[in-house]
Amino acid sequence: MKKYLVIFALVIFCLPPMVEASEATQLEADGDAGYRKVGLNWLMNSPVEANTTLEIWMNESSFSDTIDATKHSMIRVGNVSGLQQPGFGEWYDDCSYEMGDGAYLPVYRDSYGVAVVPQGTIGVNCTLTGLPSGIEIHLAVLTIDADENSILSSSIASTSIVNDVETVVIETSPYIFAIGSIALSMIALLFVLRWMDNRDGRNTSRSAHFYIAPAILALSVLTFYPVLYGIWLSFTNADQSHLGEQSFIGLNNFLTVISTSGFFRVTVFTLVWSVVNVAAHIGFGLILAMALNSSELKGRSVYRTALLLPWAIPSYISVLVWRGLYEPAGALNDFLGTNLNLLADANGARIVVILVNIWLGIPFMMMSISGALQALPKDMYEAAEVDGIDAFSRFRFLTLPNLRSALIPLSLLGFIWTFNMFNVIYLMTDGGPNLDFDGPGSTDILITYVYDVAFRDGAYGVAAAWSVVIFLMLVAFSWTYMKKTNATEAVS
Amino acid sequence: MNGQRIICSFSIVFLLLLPGCLSTDSILEEENVDQVIELDIWHSFAAESKEQASFESKIALFMASNPGVEVQISAIPYPEADQQFMIAAQGGEAPDLVRLSSDQLGKIGDIRVGGQPLLEDLRPHTTPIDRSNFDPRALNAMRYEGDLLGIPASQDCLSLLYNPILFDSAGIDYPDENWTLDDMLIAAKDLTSGDVNGLALPVKNAYWWFGFQAGFGGSLFDMNGTPTLDSNGSAEAMDWMLNLELNHSVVETGTQTESMKTQFLSSKAAMIVDGPWNWATYEAGRIPVQQALLPMVSETGERVAPLVTYKGWSVSKQSLNKEWATRLALFLSSSEVQKEFAIETYTMPTHVDLYQDSEITENIVISGFIGQLMEGTPAPTTRAMAMVYDPLVTAFENVYAGEMSSSEALSLADEALESDLEDLS
Repeated sequence: MKKYLVIFALVIFCLPPMVEASEATQLEADGDAGYRKVGLNWLMNSPVEANTTLEIWMNESSFSDTIDATKHSMIRVGNVSGLQQPGFGEWYDDCSYEMGDGAYLPVYRDSYGVAVVPQGTIGVNCTLTGLPSGIEIHLAVLTIDADENSILSSSIASTSIVNDVETVVIETSPYIFAIGSIALSMIALLFVLRWMDNRDGRNTSRSAHFYIAPAILALSVLTFYPVLYGIWLSFTNADQSHLGEQSFIGLNNFLTVISTSGFFRVTVFTLVWSVVNVAAHIGFGLILAMALNSSELKGRSVYRTALLLPWAIPSYISVLVWRGLYEPAGALNDFLGTNLNLLADANGARIVVILVNIWLGIPFMMMSISGALQALPKDMYEAAEVDGIDAFSRFRFLTLPNLRSALIPLSLLGFIWTFNMFNVIYLMTDGGPNLDFDGPGSTDILITYVYDVAFRDGAYGVAAAWSVVIFLMLVAFSWTYMKKTNATEAVS
Repeated sequence: MNGQRIICSFSIVFLLLLPGCLSTDSILEEENVDQVIELDIWHSFAAESKEQASFESKIALFMASNPGVEVQISAIPYPEADQQFMIAAQGGEAPDLVRLSSDQLGKIGDIRVGGQPLLEDLRPHTTPIDRSNFDPRALNAMRYEGDLLGIPASQDCLSLLYNPILFDSAGIDYPDENWTLDDMLIAAKDLTSGDVNGLALPVKNAYWWFGFQAGFGGSLFDMNGTPTLDSNGSAEAMDWMLNLELNHSVVETGTQTESMKTQFLSSKAAMIVDGPWNWATYEAGRIPVQQALLPMVSETGERVAPLVTYKGWSVSKQSLNKEWATRLALFLSSSEVQKEFAIETYTMPTHVDLYQDSEITENIVISGFIGQLMEGTPAPTTRAMAMVYDPLVTAFENVYAGEMSSSEALSLADEALESDLEDLS
């Protein structure tokens, strides 16, 4: 008997101490932790040993085996020295642990971002992310000890009940309402005018207001409203970082425009660009139109077609072809045997963009002047010839004065179009070369610089102020030009 | 007749005023009735490229496995992806999903429309296991001020590519990992002959300069994120790059990103500093292209460390189907899709499993570029990073045009960037 007792005692003594395996118990879930989030809190039935792994598994129904579930996340138990410990809200998700003192501390993160808690952890609290919203999910914790023995806790159900942040809807109704109001005002105006006509006995144009109503309506919506809105925007601090929350800032944007380091330079270049282009368009257009109008010219239609080609080809294609020609590896250098990089030089690039725009603009002027030339009476020239007037004098004293009524509006329109010509400079040089750190590029004109301010810097208010300045410049020029040339009289 | 006109006029006005009077809730309710889930996705792969074809096949696969989902694909130019997305979002027309680069996120991250950001924080949408699939550097690069603004699907950087036929015909040894910039310059000079240039790279392009700046000991920002464009070594790096064209004439005058590609494709350049995105094009052009690590800088003992950028899929805050959009983002960034993309188009993966995958490690192009990536510097995902290009373009233009010295230009660029950042704050 003693022998058995000794053997029993030895067996008991030699057996490894029975350690109770850690197991997650008392799981609590909180479905109100955030959109697509569930808070999960659990306690271990004993402090966790080193090299234990805690895995969180999930499934749409209750489960007692991980085969039926999906692994959500894992927490390693081990040495935390040297590991980072991001604060709450700093990591992708929040997880904390406690050692039995009730104080929850953020978990540590290894170099792969896996959560690590120290040996002896007794409680864990995690905000689980990536869970489907509004659907019941069952969660359980799998504890795997250092010997790969695992215990799965009973699963707990929870539903992430927090909805998504209200979808951002751009509030367009005020704009539509404003457009509607403008339309209503215009219609009311038409009715008032109609009533006034009736009152004054003007019955011959009874339907006139009704006929022009669609055009006025379209103009109100497509032109007047955007222009007025642009002017309003120029007095606000609208920019892309808080669009829709702009407030009135007075003349600040205009001060920014005037104090821009290259304001004077870009304005002067815009004027040079416009004047040189319009002068060349009209000059070359007139010469070519007169040549085409000459009765002695044979194959006129061939020349006319050839000269119209720049106009017929989409300008962005022809401009890109020109850019290719001027590049260092382009045809110009091949032809000249040089290694010029004109587009990288400020003055070279300015000359190049002006030349390309002259090339593009001549056909329109040529055709317009050609039409005007054909309308001139031939007997006037025959009489001059009979009187022995030479060709230059006929041009100087007959052609030019008679073309005035066509040339003045053409030059005015040409100036306005060229002043606002965007695509040539944008496609040729994009305003570059940029030699000014805080201002426009060397070939920028006002309109291309406004594009940069609006869509590259995102300063919509400042860009609107630039646009207003351009608008005022053009209004001032047009008004002065019409006054000086009696353009409206010429047209009438 | 008069009455008809009045009725007609008021009908038009009523129709114009009606949308303004409608509450937005009723519009949303109508949209929710629709059972088919429609996702708009904007990608920035080159037209007619292998990437585009591969991407479209993956979208078709996603739709086949999710019959209730319809995906509408639109292509946008890569350099303008951020700008186009911002403009669309400001008009309430943002797609559900957009492909963006990590260095573009800093610009978008600050933008608010109606008080809301433009991109969804994907942290609540992904589980830790989802996130653990990705290289931590890549995942971190898609974070802006804590928010996870994209799922990283690829990464890339510049490396040195060369045409071995031109090296053989000039009797010059191929580049290897021990090469220095001096070796590279000597080889480039020896290879420059007739209409062949030794090297092709856009010498005025800041993106190319970043790697050389790091190699010469400079950095873009300090530990606090303050710009240091004029840090030690930066000016030397700028001079070194510009002199390739201006003094040594080993780079063709005016070479830019498109023309350097043409030069290399037509065997007019023996070496090119380029990314993996053009590899398939060179192969298709039957150029026997090879890759080597960018050289060391003798003066500092550092290797040229190109900027590493990550491209990923971001979900719009305005999306009505964020959960599905995130699913599609995770699908397009999954191990299977990344692996096929890598093998078909030499797109560098971000999935950690693929770093050990034999098909990836045995592919000399992909493994070569991964080697280069490990030498690179991840682009910081900050607003300053998105704004760094403009002042640097001006600095390069000034030095190139001989208007100022590189140190002077970089100092002014640094000041300009700091001033821009101050204006923002």
